[in-house]
Order: sequence, then C-alpha cells, then structure tokens
Amino acid sequence: MGNVVQRQTRGALRFEVCGNMAGLELLSDQGYRLDGRKASELRKVQARMGVFAQADGSAYLEQGNTKALAVVYGPHEVRGLRSRIRHDRAVINCQYSMATFSTAERKRRPHGDRKSTEMSLHLKQTFEAAVMTQLYPRSQIDIYVKILQSDGGNYSVCVNAATLAVIDAGIPMRDYVCACTVGFVDETPLTDLCHAEESGGVSSLALALLPRGGQIALLQMDARLHQDHLESLIEAAMTACKGVSKVLDEVVRQHLQEVSVLSGE
Amino acid sequence: MKDTPLSNCERDFLLKAIEEKKRLDGRQTYDYRKMKITFGTDYGCCFVDLGKTRVMAQVSGELVAPKENRPNEGIMFFNIELSPMASPAFEQGRQSELSVKLNRQLERCLRNSKCIDTESLCVVSGEKVWQIRVDVHMLNHDGNLMDAASIAAITALCHFRRPDVGIQGDEVTVYTPEERDPIPLSIYHMPVSVSFSFFQQGTYLLVDPCEREERVMDGLLMIAMNKHREICSIQSSGGIMLLKEQVMRCSKIASVKVSEITELISKALENDKRARKAGGRCGFAESMPQERITALKMDKTSVEMTDVSDRANDIVQKSEAPPQTVPSPVVPIPGVGQVGQGLQNTWGLEDDEEEENGEEQDEKITEMEEEQHEKEESRGGDVVEISDSEEEEVVILHPETPDKTPKNTGSSFHQKMAATSKKRQKK
Amino acid sequence: MGPSNSNNNTCERSCCRVAMFSGLKEKVGEVLLPGDEFSLETDDTISLTEHVKPEKVVCGPGLRRSGDRLLVCKSGVLRHKQPNMFWMDSQQRRYVPAKGETVIGIVTVKSGDVFKVDFGGSEQASLSYLAFEGATKRNRPNVQVGDLVFSQFIIANKDMEPELVCMDSSGRANGMGVFGGGGLLFSVSLGLVRRLLSPHSGVLSDLQQLFPCELVVGMNGRLWVKSSSVQQTLVISNLLQSCDTMTAQQRQQLFRRVAQGAL
Repeated sequence: MGNVVQRQTRGALRFEVCGNMAGLELLSDQGYRLDGRKASELRKVQARMGVFAQADGSAYLEQGNTKALAVVYGPHEVRGLRSRIRHDRAVINCQYSMATFSTAERKRRPHGDRKSTEMSLHLKQTFEAAVMTQLYPRSQIDIYVKILQSDGGNYSVCVNAATLAVIDAGIPMRDYVCACTVGFVDETPLTDLCHAEESGGVSSLALALLPRGGQIALLQMDARLHQDHLESLIEAAMTACKGVSKVLDEVVRQHLQEVSVLSGE
Repeated sequence: MKDTPLSNCERDFLLKAIEEKKRLDGRQTYDYRKMKITFGTDYGCCFVDLGKTRVMAQVSGELVAPKENRPNEGIMFFNIELSPMASPAFEQGRQSELSVKLNRQLERCLRNSKCIDTESLCVVSGEKVWQIRVDVHMLNHDGNLMDAASIAAITALCHFRRPDVGIQGDEVTVYTPEERDPIPLSIYHMPVSVSFSFFQQGTYLLVDPCEREERVMDGLLMIAMNKHREICSIQSSGGIMLLKEQVMRCSKIASVKVSEITELISKALENDKRARKAGGRCGFAESMPQERITALKMDKTSVEMTDVSDRANDIVQKSEAPPQTVPSPVVPIPGVGQVGQGLQNTWGLEDDEEEENGEEQDEKITEMEEEQHEKEESRGGDVVEISDSEEEEVVILHPETPDKTPKNTGSSFHQKMAATSKKRQKK
Repeated sequence: MGPSNSNNNTCERSCCRVAMFSGLKEKVGEVLLPGDEFSLETDDTISLTEHVKPEKVVCGPGLRRSGDRLLVCKSGVLRHKQPNMFWMDSQQRRYVPAKGETVIGIVTVKSGDVFKVDFGGSEQASLSYLAFEGATKRNRPNVQVGDLVFSQFIIANKDMEPELVCMDSSGRANGMGVFGGGGLLFSVSLGLVRRLLSPHSGVLSDLQQLFPCELVVGMNGRLWVKSSSVQQTLVISNLLQSCDTMTAQQRQQLFRRVAQGAL
C-alpha cells in the first residue's frame, strides 16, 4: 500500500462539456495523469463524522473534488410497506441523490430516475453485505446520501461516506466497506478516476471491498476490457480500497478521541 | 398478486441438492438450459426460450432530433418490460427494483460497450438521426431473465433492418422496403450476459439459475462478454461477498459460455436469412396454423424426461444406455399440453438444428452432433490459450463426473457431450 | 379420498327423472363444454304399468341446476360414480378450497393466535394454533414461518376466510400437522393430484414399484416427496411432474426405463 500517496489534486480540473475526449492524453509518457497524479495514486480524502445533530449517524467526505454527505437513521421499526419486514434481519433503505449544483450543468434531478434508483440499489446491496443486519430483526436502517459536488467516482465516495455514517451511528459492521473506481488506460490501471477521466471513455470498474477479508461486496464494470486485464484491474482496485480504508480508520480513531476528550475522560 | 412463498423445506432441499451437485432439472453445475432462438415475421423481432423462461425482443427505429451534446450520433433506447403475464410477482406500472436492475444492466451491456455504431445512424448532422428502440418483453419467468433478455436484444438488433434514407438537398426521403432494401445495423461485437448464482456464502456456484434457484441464492454475478473475450460489463448483486478468485473463475466460464451462445445466435440468424431468401413464410404468425404454439403449455415434459433418463443413467454410472428402439414418449396426447412439439418439423429452415432442441429428428441430431464436434475442433484451433486455461477448470468443475473427454478439448466440449448424450438417450 | 368430494363447492341435489339420468349417463366420459345442458323434462312416453320413481342425482363441481335444466359450467370430461353422482373433471389450474379437503400449505405469518397459511388459493387461510393435536394455550405447537403443514379445511366457502385445522373431529392428528424435513415440495396439476388420490391409481402403483418413498399429496396440487437420497427424490419429482402429459402406456414405458437404469 506504500505507493498510495495522498496529495492535493492540482487545480480543480472540471470540464464543462464532455464531448470527445479521445484527443486528451489521460496518461502522459512520464506517467502522470491529467491532474498530476501517478497512476496508482488516490485523490486526497478528507472526512468528518458526526456533522448533524438530528441524525443517528452522519458523515461528510471529500475525495478530491467529489463531496458527499451521508446520514443514517436507525435501526428503527419498519415504516411504510409492512411487507418489507424481514423476520430474521433488518432491511436497509438507501436513498441516493445529487444536489442541483453538483455538476457543471445545473439541472433539477428528480428522484427515481433509473440511474439514481440503480445507485440506491447498489448502495443498499453494498451495505446489506457489510452491516450485521441479523442483529436487528424486524427493523429498518435508513442511509441517505447526497452528492454535493460531483467529480467522478460518485458511487465510491458515497460508499465511503456512508461507511463513516454507519460507524457514527454505532451500527455493527463486519468491516469498513471501502469503494474505489479504477480505470484502464494504456495497459495501466488508473486509481480513483476523476470526472475528466471517467468521461474520457476509459473502461472503469467500481469495487466495494471489505478490506480485512478481501471480500468484494459489489463489483461493477462498464465498457470493454479484455478478460486478461481483469485480474490486474481488480488487484489495483483492491489495493486502492485498502488505502481508503486506512484513511477512514484514521478518521474514525481521531473522531473517537475527540469525542472522548469532550466527554471528560 | 403475491408470489407463492418459498417454504423452508424447499430451501433446505435445494441447498442440499446443490451441495451434492444436483440440480432440479438434472443439469450440471455449469450447464445452460435448453436454449431456443426464433424470429418473428418482422425484421427485428426475436424470441428466446431458455428452459421455460421466454422473452421477446422487438427493435424499432424512428427519425428524431439528436441529443445536443452528440449531434451526429444515433440514439439507442432500451426498455425491459416485466409484464404481470410473466409472473404473478410482477406488478403493472410500478418500476420495481428488479426492472431497474435489468434495464440498467441491459443498457450497460449493450449501449456502454458501444457494440453498435451509433454514428452510422446519423442522417443529417444535428437534425435527424435514427433512434433505435429495443423493447424486451418478459413472457414467462423461470429465472435468469437477464441472460435471456440480453440474448434476445442483441439477436434482435442483428436481425433488424432499418429503412434506407436518401437525402436530396434539405429533403430526407425514407424509402419503403419495396423501393430500396432496408439496411442492417452495423454491429461491432455481440455482448452476451452470463449469470452466476452463488449459494452458501459463495461456496457453490451455478450457471443459469432457474426461478427456484434464484429464490434460494445469496447473490448473483452477471458478466457480459463478447466472443473476443472482452468483458463488456460486470455487475454483482445481492448481498454476497465475493473473492477475487471467484470473479476470475466466473469470467473464464463466461468466456466459454459466450462463445457457445454467440455461435448459436449466428447460426439462428443464418438459418433465418436462408429461410427468408427462399421466400418461405416464417415467423410467429405462421406458426399458429401449424399448431406450433402450445395452447396448454403446462410443462415441457420432454425436458424433464430427458433429464430423468439422464439421471437414471447417472445412477448406473452411465454403464448402459437405454435401448435406442424405445419410441420417444414425448408424443403429446391430444388436448393435454404440448401441441406440436416433436412433430415433423414444419417450421422451415429456420428452426432446424438451431439449438439443443431435443425434439428434433434422429438424423438432425446426429447432424448437429457432428457440427458441434466440428465447431469444437475449430474452436480449439482458434483459441488455444482458452482451452489450456480451461483445462484445469474442468478438473475442478467436474470433480465427480467421470472424465470421459480427452483432456485437450476443454470444458465446453465436455458439456456439449453431456447435452448430446442426453439427446441420444432420449431416442 | 375419492374424487367425488373434490372441489365440491357447488354440490347440489336435484330431483329428476330417469330420462335425464340416462341422458347424463350416456355422456359419461365425454367432453362437455360450458353451456351444454340436460333437460329435466319428463319423457313423453311414461309407462303406465311401471311406476317410475323419481331419482336423486348428486351434481358435483362443474354442473349447475337452473330451473328444470342441468347446465354444464366448466369444460372437461363428465364423470360418474355409482349410484348417481356426476361431476366434471376439468383442467383447472387454480385451486378452489372445499370443505373437508386436505391440502399442503406454507405458513407465511405468525400473528397472535393464528397462523396464516398459503395454500395456492385466492386468499390465505387461517390456522389456529389450538388446532393441532395436543395443543393447549400453554403448550403451543412449534411452527415456524415457512414450514409446511398438512391440514384440512373446516371452513371453505365463498364468503368467509377459509380455515384450516391439523386434526380430525376426534382431536387426533391423523397424519396432519407440520412436516417436510428433507423432502422436496413441488406443484403439479390438480387433475394429476386427483388421479393420484383415486383408489386404484395407476400412477401410484407404477411409482410404488420404483423406489420406496414418502409422498404427501395435497388436493391443492402440491406434492411433497422424500426418498432415501436427493437423487431419488429428484427423479421421483421429475417423473411425477412429467406424468401430467403422458398416457398410461407412455408413463409405464418411462417408469420401466428408469427402473431398468436404477435397479
């Protein structure tokens, strides 16, 4: 994990039009990317836990220029459809949304379009794998995530933010769930893609990992990639996720320390 | 309407059976169910039967204004309709989780992998482009909708012909098929989705789960690939935790399955082309008067029976095959289910030796076997590395089955053999 | 359980004359369609010497009396049982509960004093926790959601929620109750279930020669099979599912082949 260095993204690279990016060189001959990172370098991850008083758990996370807020309520009794009750475990309810001002193009984003529904589904699936739902039968855990600023890797930032929020809410998990996107350019895996890279026609892979056991909670890949490259790509993604988990671990420890100092221990 | 709940006993039994490497319909772990591809009268209409799962895909095209940010690209639109006709669990109207999942996966599989040349669909840059719309309707749900839908969609796209257009100055003329021959879409590659279901926290793995298996499974991994072994999309779903090795193994199995399926699709397309050239009437509507549509499609008993005999054979460790002279017991009783299956093939060229359809005539079967042998050989010649890498897989995958195939032919051959031997036993 | 009391949600007695009786009898075994009718009217030629005793005819499912006519309201084959019971043997797929019939249900909800049981009908049936052998308020039966119960209808009509019990009138289990460990549940057509249950069932006797197995047959088209191994259970379930669309001859042939292969 030594090669995963964090560094401030050089300049806010934001492309207004995602036209044909084919001309853009995503990886220079010297091995630098558009924003000056090395191929296996993550963006700077900054996070805070416990940002809201009302919620049972909350967190704010920045990964480069992508910023997300996550809020957790629960476990509480099942609201709405009674038929969702599981008599052996808790159900997880996820809602993903994007702020109107989150992208370069300002637009109203209605709830329930296919993409955001899918994203909610994926978040739900990720956390169903990670949260120990069997401890809370017949109850529900709500996870709301909002993207405040979008610069690529929305899914992974949401997962990372939500992990912190779930930890803040004190809900037991098997492990941190960390997610990261990885792209593939010139036979090289690029870690933690930003928006410019994502829209540049790179085949990208999103992976959510429980780092300790190396278990993959979610795997999603778009665009074409030869089978032989899959392994190296997954490998890179897993390394990146482990890097993220280190950062998250630090954040949690720091937060707990602060809280315990405040409570006079 | 609610679906019938799954009882504990079914769940326990299925899991136990999977542990013992048995499946409800007698398949092997990595076998697909019987797959059948047929076409409608129109271009771009395709039916796919995967066991009892049945889906229909219809492609249509219209001229629209392009999207602002892509002025010279045609538009692809995909829609999967889960009609209540297919299963009592599907509700009308509301977008269920399943439907969102399937729709997005199909989009990713076919649109994001850029398998269709959208630029060739541009008529007048910035003004008129073709919008190609693919509607996939689920007709009967018996598990593994995604694979059936992806096969139906890509086959329908390959089958589709759009009207020719001519441009004189500002005027765009759309020619009728009588005036000018309609044009096929230009398709770069054919992504096909393969689903893997996981049981017991990923300990067991099955290909092509049927509906009951889907209800018991922990999670699903869908891999879309083309025959060049390029992965077009991967999606895991359900709360399972996978290991990297499992994903890699699945991708290897997928590459074998995809090449088989692609072969089948191109064969079906070819047959249809020949049938159309010959001027024979073909398609869904034509099958009505010939009673090929089953009125009381209760059970494809043929499937069960082949499996039973197959399994019975398993018990004796394949020591003796049933006498070949036993007439097929599939002859349907009038009035009870199964109208038309197993009759003389009246469908025209389109249907023959199309797929692993057990009810063809004897000669056909042998023909097909030969073909499959040929195909297998040629495949082995083309891609040597696969079969090499598969070789180890075979050993792992079928640890219990007697290894009756020569080592160097790979697992696909093995499965083929199983399929053909099934057919032989049935006769 | 004879087929006569199957599905008898419309069982009525009609008084009619020999003429009609014989008219009905002529048609036994034939396919009839809804709308076919039999007239109750007296024959023109009444024998004066012989006293014609009005005879009662019991109409089973699929036959309905309307005034002095007898109407067929389901398509199927007319069946007859001595002395004078008639019913239509139809290929209906949806199960309609009838009092006294035994079904295989799946417990879906445990709520308070009753279990809700899915039996494949239009609505769920209720099953009281006291309706098990030896159950008291203190001593509740051990039933989990998802368990199978073999039980009998005591209330089944179109106006009320169906109710099941797992004991007979004398309070004995009589084979009913929770069951199902290690076996496989599957569905077949209602017609096949009735064939299985008829006293001299060919299917059953054929099956008996094959493997030893436990078989529970619910009138709602659900079968549960358990045999010595998973393999054999699967074979039996596949055989039974394929029995639906085979003639007796075909079936015997198939069974023989399986027997040859297996034994």
